[in-house]
Amino acid sequence: MKPWDTAALAEIEDLPGPGTLRWTPVRRHFDVRAFGVNAYTATEVGQDVVEEHTEESLGHEELYVVVAGHARFTLDGEEVDAPAGTLVYLRDPTVRRAAVAVDAPTTLLALGGKPGEAYSVSGWEFWFAATAKGESGDHEAAIAEIDAGFEHHPEHPMLFYQRACWEALAGRSEDALADLNRSVALGGEKFREYASDDEDLDSIRADPRFPA
Amino acid sequence: MSDRWEVRRIEDIGAFIDPARARWHPIRTELGLGAFGVNAWRATEAGQELIGEHDEVGGGAGRHEELYLVLSGHATFTVDGETVDAPAGQLVFVGDPEVKRSATAEEAGTTVLVAGGKRGEPFAVSPWERYAEGLQFFVTKEYDRALEFFERAHREAPEQAGVLYNLACAESLLGQPDDALAHLAQAIELSPSFREAAQTDSDFHPIRADPRFDGVAG
Repeated sequence: MKPWDTAALAEIEDLPGPGTLRWTPVRRHFDVRAFGVNAYTATEVGQDVVEEHTEESLGHEELYVVVAGHARFTLDGEEVDAPAGTLVYLRDPTVRRAAVAVDAPTTLLALGGKPGEAYSVSGWEFWFAATAKGESGDHEAAIAEIDAGFEHHPEHPMLFYQRACWEALAGRSEDALADLNRSVALGGEKFREYASDDEDLDSIRADPRFPA
Repeated sequence: MSDRWEVRRIEDIGAFIDPARARWHPIRTELGLGAFGVNAWRATEAGQELIGEHDEVGGGAGRHEELYLVLSGHATFTVDGETVDAPAGQLVFVGDPEVKRSATAEEAGTTVLVAGGKRGEPFAVSPWERYAEGLQFFVTKEYDRALEFFERAHREAPEQAGVLYNLACAESLLGQPDDALAHLAQAIELSPSFREAAQTDSDFHPIRADPRFDGVAG
């Protein structure tokens, strides 16, 4: 680990997030380990800067800082105007949150962690990064990203599920079936439901071992 | 606003510890964040110190990793003796708590956000945050308010050396030498670096001639 480091936010390679979101993986870039920190940018008006989600699975509180531009948040259905310099603090992980850009470009910094617990790197970082690599055609690089996630979360059902998808797309049927069944064993019925209509898994769907 | 979320402007959160210095926006304290520390500092004029030189191993520090982001304006950081040009959008991450860091503003209005926490441990409020707000009362010479603030902080964190030190300063300035010497002795016992600070701190002028002072801080 370097004792210290510096980078311009705009110089850190951004990756496609879900939908139109551009994700700047600040935590990954510096290997911050005490809290989660990422930036999100919309380059056009109306694009997402926060994808709709809750923090129920991680129990994180989140602080969004509007660094540049102008965003509009929707918090449990309520609209909140958020020009540059606005802080949006979500102490309750169950609040359904999303934000779009009102001006472009708009950049937010998002900080997160669970009060009372040491921070651990969130599993989603690995499948976001895997998706960015896999969708550009490099399925093996996507699998390697998920593998890195297992170092932090060896029993994470979504990591098994995501790896199964990339393995299926890479033609590694045996690995894909093993990982998919592991995700259902660890994560329960909802993973069986995800698999039921996920096109990524079509190459292994006819196999009798597929969790129907 | 609701008990589930809160929306604020950075500039609406704030306290001047000293009107001649950069303005402190104590975001974590104001919002009640529990998972990490967050503060912002805004310079009122060019050349002003934004981040005082410090490491994260001293008496008031929390051994935090720190991530700085220049939100607006233009700052110059000095990290481990190296100069870092930091226009708006620049990030500076200091992972090693022993590294010295500081920043000055190149322009009035330069604002720096800093987030911190300790690797591998649940977040705990850095000791300095407990007493920083009370330092403004020394600048305004409202020593009775300083005393009240640090007595309360001391009840909340009895083993906090920085709180004890500032409590002793207030007591010294208010002509309470017995209390001042007792609290200064406790501060130095918990954090010996306060011995050197006490030797030159003008807040202790009223008690420096006391024959007991050298025994405590000499």
